[in-house]
Amino acid sequence: MLRTAGLRLLTSLLVIFGSLVLVFSIVYVLPGDPIRSIVDPTTVSEETLASLRAELGLDRPFYARFADYIGSMLRGDFGKSLLNDEPVLPKILKHLPATLALTAASSLFAAMVGIWLGVLSAIHRDRWIDSAARVIGLFGISMPTFWSGILLILIFSITLGWFPAMGSDGWKTLVLPAIGLGIVGAGYVVRLVRNSMLEVINEQFVLTLRAKGVSERLVMYRHALRNALIPALTMIGVLSGELLAGTVVIETVFARQGIGRIISDALMAKDIPVVQGVIFFSAVMYVLINLLVDLSYRVIDPRVRRLQ
Amino acid sequence: MSNKRKIVRSLPVLALIFAIALAGCAQKPSSGESSAAGGASPAAAVSSASPSAESGNTPQGGELSYALATSPDQLDPHRSGYAVAVRVIRTIHDSLVAQAPDGSIHPWLATEWEASPDGKSYTFKLRQDVKFHDGTPFNAEAVKYNYDRILNPETKAANSQSLIYPYESAEVLDEYTVKLNLKTPSSAFLGNLSQALVSIVSPTAAEKYGDQLTKNPVGSGPFKFVSWEENSQIVVERNPDYNWGPDSLVDNTGAPYLDKIAFKIVPEEATRIGSVQSGQILAGETVPPQNIASLANDAKLQIFKSNTQGLPFTLFINQKREPWGDTKLRQALQAAIDVGSIVKTLYLGTYDQAWSPLTPGTLGYDASLENANKFDQNKANALFDELGWLKGDDGIRAKDGKKLTLRYVDGSPNREKRNDIAAIVQQQLKQVGIAVEVEITQDFRTVIFEQGNYDIYGNSQVNSDPEALRNFYHSGAKSIAASQNLPGYANAEVDALLDAGLVEQDPAKREDIYKQIQQIIIRDAVIIPIYVFPYTVAASKTVEALKFDSLAYPLFNDVYLGK
Amino acid sequence: MEDTVAVKSPAWRESRAASERVRIRSGIRFSALLVYGAGLVIFFIVLCALFPGQIAPYSPTLMNVDAIIQSPSLAHPFGTDYYGRDVFSVVVHGTRDSLLIGIASVLVGGLIGAAIGAIAGFLGGVIDTIIMGLIEVMMTIPGILFALAVAAAMGPSLFNIVLAVALSAVPGYARVFRSQIISIKGRPFIAAARSVGAGRVRIFARHVLPNAWAPLLVMATIGLGTSILVGSGLSFLGLGVIKEIPDWGTLLSQGRGYLTVAWWMSTFPGLAITLLVLSVNLLGDKLRDRLDPKKNRI
Repeated sequence: MLRTAGLRLLTSLLVIFGSLVLVFSIVYVLPGDPIRSIVDPTTVSEETLASLRAELGLDRPFYARFADYIGSMLRGDFGKSLLNDEPVLPKILKHLPATLALTAASSLFAAMVGIWLGVLSAIHRDRWIDSAARVIGLFGISMPTFWSGILLILIFSITLGWFPAMGSDGWKTLVLPAIGLGIVGAGYVVRLVRNSMLEVINEQFVLTLRAKGVSERLVMYRHALRNALIPALTMIGVLSGELLAGTVVIETVFARQGIGRIISDALMAKDIPVVQGVIFFSAVMYVLINLLVDLSYRVIDPRVRRLQ
Repeated sequence: MSNKRKIVRSLPVLALIFAIALAGCAQKPSSGESSAAGGASPAAAVSSASPSAESGNTPQGGELSYALATSPDQLDPHRSGYAVAVRVIRTIHDSLVAQAPDGSIHPWLATEWEASPDGKSYTFKLRQDVKFHDGTPFNAEAVKYNYDRILNPETKAANSQSLIYPYESAEVLDEYTVKLNLKTPSSAFLGNLSQALVSIVSPTAAEKYGDQLTKNPVGSGPFKFVSWEENSQIVVERNPDYNWGPDSLVDNTGAPYLDKIAFKIVPEEATRIGSVQSGQILAGETVPPQNIASLANDAKLQIFKSNTQGLPFTLFINQKREPWGDTKLRQALQAAIDVGSIVKTLYLGTYDQAWSPLTPGTLGYDASLENANKFDQNKANALFDELGWLKGDDGIRAKDGKKLTLRYVDGSPNREKRNDIAAIVQQQLKQVGIAVEVEITQDFRTVIFEQGNYDIYGNSQVNSDPEALRNFYHSGAKSIAASQNLPGYANAEVDALLDAGLVEQDPAKREDIYKQIQQIIIRDAVIIPIYVFPYTVAASKTVEALKFDSLAYPLFNDVYLGK
Repeated sequence: MEDTVAVKSPAWRESRAASERVRIRSGIRFSALLVYGAGLVIFFIVLCALFPGQIAPYSPTLMNVDAIIQSPSLAHPFGTDYYGRDVFSVVVHGTRDSLLIGIASVLVGGLIGAAIGAIAGFLGGVIDTIIMGLIEVMMTIPGILFALAVAAAMGPSLFNIVLAVALSAVPGYARVFRSQIISIKGRPFIAAARSVGAGRVRIFARHVLPNAWAPLLVMATIGLGTSILVGSGLSFLGLGVIKEIPDWGTLLSQGRGYLTVAWWMSTFPGLAITLLVLSVNLLGDKLRDRLDPKKNRI
């Protein structure tokens, strides 16, 4: 057990390192001179450009830049934004909480609504409740977040005036974006929970339980749902990454602070230090969440425990 | 639990029903109340407060929330290059001089000035009662420090560098007298000094913060910087000591009435306008044309509108790429594009059509060009035929086996519906037999300025002086990698006129020079002017006396919150 | 969860046997109706993709300055957009590219992902660790960011969008498929097969694979819609493809600013996406049920 955990931790570190390499490579091949995002090429002289380039180390080879970066990163220095010289680390730490809150709230919304609808749907298989639950789930999946976000603003801000349309101060501003983002996640979870439940319901052990006269409720919730949750959990692990990415759009729509906006701005402006910093943090977060998901497999599914 | 479930279950359905019902309502034309603002310019002199009286009957206090469409890049005026940053920078910083909407130059931090007979230096007398927000006194040293700072490469100055051209050095004659020396005479210099990007920062603060001045701007303006939360808001507060506002631009030259302004950053236009409609914020900038009419009819809202100055949004035809070096061919292109219908379709009557390389308010604008070059498809077809470009079976013209194609490059995101202009031009030119390839790219800087890989590229520039034409039409216009002279235009006559315009001191003669330039550029079909961008603000009716400077940047000195 | 059950009770109390019967009798009415409807919708969508010119009443590029932003009418059932184009015709003509983006990226992404997931899940051990490590490296960069980076790096084109969406979906498919395979490997019937001496390849091909791909199918049917939406998201972020005839996702994004003044511009393309996703999923489920080997046992 300890050995597995240690191994897992090691691979996690490798994964984070790997993602840094990947990002570094992607940023490296992005066309366009990052210098262009700092100064207006129409107004600045060649000499200024050359000196800027040297100062930023943009004229040095890939591996040297990467080694430098890792080195200073380990000392807690993630560099400065090319756009406004702001140190990257404090910038990210400042915006991370808002994004975490949004991701958590929307995951919660997605998991609750999704599991509930999914179970409902599976239990009432092929009845109208099933159809309704599935259609609702599919609606969530088939609407882009920017569109559902704007709809939510139209309805709950402009017309009803219940929640603010923008901002990131206070729980009230969290409600609409969390729903907007969570709707998509819920859609996925509904589908997965339903299908896994149906699979499990057909398993021999469920038949056995029924034959033994175990109450249907117990069969469903103690045994079927528990088994069905494994793929659903994997999904939520995967989704946490997608939700994080979804913040790119939803934070823009709701004018929220957060690292989603930071990274999309940085990507488009080729603000390399910021892109790298954000990816590093989202990689760490992602790895952590999935570590938890992996560990929870053991708790939920004894078979996985036995395998390892 | 049971209640919650019900809500959740019905949510998406409800949402859809609401949305459709809502949209139906919103779409109904709301008649009456058209007298309210009606998309017109801000009422002149709404404020009845006398310039000096701070008490008067003008309501004091309150916080104005004002939504910006994008985030400023910098609040260090000398390092910024974005118009959106200027809206904030202007509240914190003052300039030496002010430019009135008619182009005339008036005192601000400088009380009077004199140009040397050779036009190569200006001597400014400065106000003696001005203090920066950090207590540093404003004086001749501060002026010298600021302009030298822009020239210093370590500052990494942006647009301010070209605005201050041809500044060379400053001499402090006494504490409140400064002489600025120029490399060459420039009639544009004084006007450019009025621009916010070359406004005066506190030397003490600039030394203290260095490249972090952008996060801690200190000026002498009507508002003091409080905080900047990235992607959220920038807050400025009233400067109670302020007593040196430019009376040529605002009524209230003293401390502003508002306690605070919170500039919210709201990129998505539906959200920005929605927040104003729902009352969450008081004002939002850049109202989409399709919303202007309905918002103006809203009893609680008003629309402010002010046209920008400088170069209108213009399609530059790249003469360096074949076959567009041929003037006649460009003239045919000019006749084939129906600019009037583009502007009408996309901006629904809220933007004015442009006719010249300059906007109507800019010095020397030639109004005789208006309606001179009209859309004429028959003329276009005849010209193409005459030049030997004949329609093939596929409807595309060709000459010597070469198809007539045009590469139209535009930047992303779709600012001011510019990408849609490309889409319409594509269809219009298809009708006369030109295959237009549209490339919309995030990375237009590489495509345009480095590779020069375009036949048409559109751009505009907010500027205070027709000297702005130099960067776009002078054959000697410098840039970094590729030509900044976007049309690739080289006309000795225009070059000479531009050089003459820069040094000409007689305003009437100067106007005449720029009129000639405009005539030649249009005659040679160097460009296709499209629209003049109006800066628009949707605001609650409680927001009173919002004014704009000559470049359509908002001025908050007079603003107060009514009932 | 427990009290969810309590509320559920009326339908719940029926015995399972009874509910099986209900499913066969009355249940079929609901679901069968849906499935037939879904089939019809897909048939029509495919028709639109194949013969847009025969179905659309106008040219999708016909702009008319005198007919901009008109609400739905007999002449224009979906209204007109801000160019004065007939929205119905634009949507019909946009079908082909929308389907192309969806199908191509699901096929590419799904096949690569499934192959990787299957190898990792079945072989296990070091290979699993290495492959999943690489997959996890990819996963740490979330889908749309990946698509964003690819689109930014290679420029927006239909091919690049498909590639970006497909690549960004690979890790998801791989992970789900792998976890499914691992889950199946632990089941008694695999152990039984092993005990009777079946080889690894045989077990994999005959026992693991057929039981593992149901979730993948579900993912793929969802992925079809998601791909179109990612394209739409890119368009929202300013990285979309500008074509003479836009796909549904792009239309949706372009019309969003007009939601309060002209809801039809973005609602109809949106409905088209929803209908497609809905129908494909309903059919996908039906297919899954048909092909499910376990179902035949009941």
